[in-house]
Amino acid sequence: MDKEEILKEARKAIIDADKAKAEELAKRAIAEGVDPLEMINKGFRAGITEVGDLFGRGELFLPELILSAEAMKGAADILTAALPKGTKKRRGKIVIGTAQGDIHDIGKSMVVSFLQANGLEVYDLGRDIETQKFIDKAQEVNADIIGMSALLTTTMSGQKALIQELKKAGLREKYKVMVGGAPATQRWADRIGADAYGIDAADAAKKAMELLGEG
Amino acid sequence: MKRFHIRMGDGSATELSESELKRDLEEGTRDAAERAKIPPLSQNELAYLFDVYSSPARFVGVDRGNEVIFSYDNGSAKSREDITEIPLHRVQEAQVYEKFLGADIADFGHIDYSFKPVKSIVTFEQQALEYALLVTTVPMFYGSQPNLGSYTQPDGPCPNPMELLPQGKIAEARAAQEEMMEHAVKDMVYVVSAMYESGADGFNFDTAGAAGDADFLATLRAVEILRKKYPQMAMMVGIAGEFILGMHGELTYDGVRVAGLYPHKQLELVEKAGATIFGPAINTNTDKSGAWNVARAVTFVKPCVENSHIPVHANMGMGLSGIPMADCPPVDAVSRASKAMVEITRLDGL
Repeated sequence: MDKEEILKEARKAIIDADKAKAEELAKRAIAEGVDPLEMINKGFRAGITEVGDLFGRGELFLPELILSAEAMKGAADILTAALPKGTKKRRGKIVIGTAQGDIHDIGKSMVVSFLQANGLEVYDLGRDIETQKFIDKAQEVNADIIGMSALLTTTMSGQKALIQELKKAGLREKYKVMVGGAPATQRWADRIGADAYGIDAADAAKKAMELLGEG
Repeated sequence: MKRFHIRMGDGSATELSESELKRDLEEGTRDAAERAKIPPLSQNELAYLFDVYSSPARFVGVDRGNEVIFSYDNGSAKSREDITEIPLHRVQEAQVYEKFLGADIADFGHIDYSFKPVKSIVTFEQQALEYALLVTTVPMFYGSQPNLGSYTQPDGPCPNPMELLPQGKIAEARAAQEEMMEHAVKDMVYVVSAMYESGADGFNFDTAGAAGDADFLATLRAVEILRKKYPQMAMMVGIAGEFILGMHGELTYDGVRVAGLYPHKQLELVEKAGATIFGPAINTNTDKSGAWNVARAVTFVKPCVENSHIPVHANMGMGLSGIPMADCPPVDAVSRASKAMVEITRLDGL
């Protein structure tokens, strides 16, 4: 099997949510000298991107997405372990939750699934979370990104408050801030000074990867 | 080169050239057609949309004879919740909808607007509805959302599937959703029966499917039970989004998998369950122009109207069917989206 074929098979294994096949391909890629990073990005990550597109079109459902994410993780773990010393990158960390007063967590949880599928270390605080708790958790785990979701126009102000609190604490430059949820828009994100806005779960994961320099 | 004032999906203003406007209309209809596997708009329909969007008028309206009826959702709480923040009592607000806004069907509901919290205060709601009915003549529906999320811990009895799924606990997440459906169907039948027997002219199941396929299926099951119980009852089922999100993925109604259904297929099941009005909801993309969004929304809704045996009322509120996602959507955008929806799809109401 040549490199192109392995990459193609890797993409397919993720779409088919076939963990055993994905892990087998990861091992084969290492044995055949394929660059592990290329295998992750052009093979497995291409597959998870396609899974995200299918989910966004209603052609694939959340349980299947979760299984694809597990297949992706299994393969990525094998490939990451094979990276030469000094080239291993720390996994990006994100703290995420829904704004205080907002119990709507479905969209946020879909984002969590997509972030995990892309190999990020996700700290999901849950729903109706005080602003300060986002900051405390980010400090505790040394996160890269803080993400806040809001479904209501009455709770999206929590996203603005998060950025204000980070500024007050002198931590604004330390964390990238992402916002999302039904009433949020790119214009809103720009207005409050957020670093990124995700229009849907797949887009949120893409933006997170871009913020981490892996887009 | 002439440029046309167009709103983006977030309500901001932009200008498009003739070719950009035509491109957006064509791409919008193509996107809907590809997703739902339905026909795109014809060249005549796209030309009509071009006329609507290139008009210099501040706002537009339908031609005489093309008027449709207006039904509303959560009408008795909007003045307080939304940008107006006018502290009206909900009975007064129902009167505002009837007497000032020309509502043909008004909707009365509790501020929580979900079946679960209403269940425990249903006798208070019956009293409030009776008073509203006494001071209005417009058909008054009582409305609530199935809101399956309200049945999850810590707010409800069931484990939260949205916590279980990211942990890979798929069987547990599916079982939790099935349990949530049981609770929701029971509550819906209880609340609707109580309000209908208190004189409600009908019931509005609002944002069905918001929590995914289980949410939609629970609504269908409740409607089916209620249709048998009250053969003459009016029931409107408004949908949460353009396709049913597959949180469970394996649920079926009458042999049809409900996850992933687009509006024209949702309609078939809503009709089969026994509802009398179908309310499709098409998501507005805030990064795209109003022209793109409306061409897309109209393409999704058109086959619903063509194949329906019950009235179709498209959801045309904030962030839906080409209406911008803005607290107070601009009138130029709202009127254009509404005119286009009515005159192309020939639907029954908004």
